[in-house]
Amino acid sequence: MSGDSTVPALECRDVVKQFRRGRGFKKKVIRAVDGATLTLYPGELFGLLGPNGAGKTTLVRCIATLLIPDAGTIRVLGHDVFKDALFCRQQIGLLTSGERTLYWKLSARDNLKFFAALYGLTGKERDKRIEYLLGLLGLQEVANERLERYSSGMKQKVSLARAMLHDPKLLLLDEPTLGLDPQFGRFIRGFIKEELNKKQGKTILLTTHYMDEADELCARIAFINQGRIVDIKSPEEYKRDIPHKEILKVRCLGQFDGELLKGVSGIERVSAEFNDGVTTLNIVAERAEMVLSEVIEAVRARTRILGVDVQEPTLEDVFIYMTGTSLGADTKEEHETQYQD
Amino acid sequence: MARLECINMQLVKRTTDRLCHYWAAVWAENIKEWKLELTYKADFARSLIDPVVYLLPYLLYGIALVGGRESESLRNLVGTADIITFITLGYVFIGFLNMALWAMGFSLRKEQFYGTLESVFAAPVPRWVFTMGMALHSILHQLLMIGVQIVFIILIFSIKINPIGLLPTLLIIALMLVALYGIGMFMASFTLIFKQGGLVSEALASILMILTPIAYPLAVLPVFMQKLALFVPTTYGILGTRHFLMGERIGFTLREAFVRLGMLSLLWVAFGLTVFWIIDRWTRRSGTLGHY
Ligand SMILES: Nc1ncnc2c1ncn2[C@@H]1O[C@H](COP(=O)(O)OP(=O)(O)OP(=O)(O)O)[C@@H](O)[C@H]1O
Ligand SMILES: [Mg+2]
Repeated sequence: MSGDSTVPALECRDVVKQFRRGRGFKKKVIRAVDGATLTLYPGELFGLLGPNGAGKTTLVRCIATLLIPDAGTIRVLGHDVFKDALFCRQQIGLLTSGERTLYWKLSARDNLKFFAALYGLTGKERDKRIEYLLGLLGLQEVANERLERYSSGMKQKVSLARAMLHDPKLLLLDEPTLGLDPQFGRFIRGFIKEELNKKQGKTILLTTHYMDEADELCARIAFINQGRIVDIKSPEEYKRDIPHKEILKVRCLGQFDGELLKGVSGIERVSAEFNDGVTTLNIVAERAEMVLSEVIEAVRARTRILGVDVQEPTLEDVFIYMTGTSLGADTKEEHETQYQD
Repeated sequence: MARLECINMQLVKRTTDRLCHYWAAVWAENIKEWKLELTYKADFARSLIDPVVYLLPYLLYGIALVGGRESESLRNLVGTADIITFITLGYVFIGFLNMALWAMGFSLRKEQFYGTLESVFAAPVPRWVFTMGMALHSILHQLLMIGVQIVFIILIFSIKINPIGLLPTLLIIALMLVALYGIGMFMASFTLIFKQGGLVSEALASILMILTPIAYPLAVLPVFMQKLALFVPTTYGILGTRHFLMGERIGFTLREAFVRLGMLSLLWVAFGLTVFWIIDRWTRRSGTLGHY
């Protein structure tokens, strides 16, 4: 049954997870996940994108059987995670976001050996698998050193190897590049997309609050905000479907504001940023080329133009448009309901 | 008929596969604990030598009080007079008790501190496997400690035991360890929900320590406590051991001892697992698992 390609790799339906905090008068109920529904098909690289506190980790922990949801169902390869927990755990490779998910006092190899046994790998088969993964991630030379001597990027590589030990069908990667320097971040992203998804055909649920990461890696993205899934689409669809289509950026000398373009028709919105004697005008319009010549004329009448650039909207723009909050914002605690009893 | 047999065979194979998997996990947990422990070699050496250092004053104190290693009053109470052997065997037992209450009880708490509890709980093995692995490590550690203690005591005093009694002793200790595993599971669940789980451990440890006739014969306890002591698995462990190894008189037959200890073990394991199961559910509902 689990080999059937029509069975979704992961199916969450109306998942609700609440946390209770405090006692007495200060008692609060936090709806960390509020009716999340999503389906991942085999081989898909799916992004769960949302600001801090949106409920990403909570949903991942529910899927990994570490939390029991208050409502809704979760199925992994057609099996209910609650009723069939051991089966589902065997299918899941989990990468949690906290750094301390391995034994720092042990070497990478010893860590992997331990976890391999938990996943039912023993003897030669285990050693072969470990050597293969160490090689794949370029860890062979340091494999016998204690993890406490590793950089966080290298620890993250070991965590990835750990998640892949038992060759799981479904990978849950919770903020895999959080806190890594750009070089390691790039490596991990490439590895996830090229090796894990394209080459090995893994189904991957990736959570992140980095726009670019989701945009670059994921075929489909679920926007999650305050525990709710706002929408699920491909990055291109998101960008196409927001009303303002293009952003014209004009950099010019001196300090100006939107007033400068008062007479130009076809402009939906203008914002201006002033920095080091240069103003950047962000002009939102249906089509940039329709307003281009008029804008240039209007600006040139007052000052010198340093540069003109047309930009597609980023996912960040989409997110702000849809939720009114920026992804950088921390929405933790904002959606808590307070009870007094 | 043939099909039924086939299904049976599959079931047997699946079950043995699963048990092999669990055993491998228990063993891996044990190995991992040894590796972690041996990263601090000085601490490890101290953990072996400390018990001997603590034991010596007891023995010397005993000799000073009695005026030699033979005690007539001990002979009247239990039928054997050798206080050195008596105290040493009792002391060894404190180690086992501590193991169940502290090492096992705190095994999961320790993972919580490392931050690895969730990684470990996400693996496809039941939770009891981890406490079992810890228990195995603790037992082996304990045996090593006992070995060191016995060697020291023999070097200094020589202890007189009946070698034929070793086999039944191992049997009764094995049975007692099952019961202690149950108690350990119970403690482990407490430390998962109360940050102060240590207090419960301490209280239980004290109660068991007083009730178990470790440093003294059962007969010196008040009568109601003697009755209570009969519900404590370690009582049978220590009395049985001293009976087999040094001929202590015990107030019940050997059969009674094994049957009662067997039943206590079953009860404690069932109780410990049930409490653990309930609390595991509860922590996964309330989301308090990863906290420390
Ligand atoms: N175990 C818990 N007990 C109480 N509240 C919790 C618990 N876990 C999460 N929360 C709360 O639930 C909300 C969602 O948290 P969650 O960690 O799922 O967000 P996230 O999207 O992963 O954010 P981040 O980007 O910070 O990792 C937050 O308000 C958080 O404070
Ligand atoms: Mg998170």
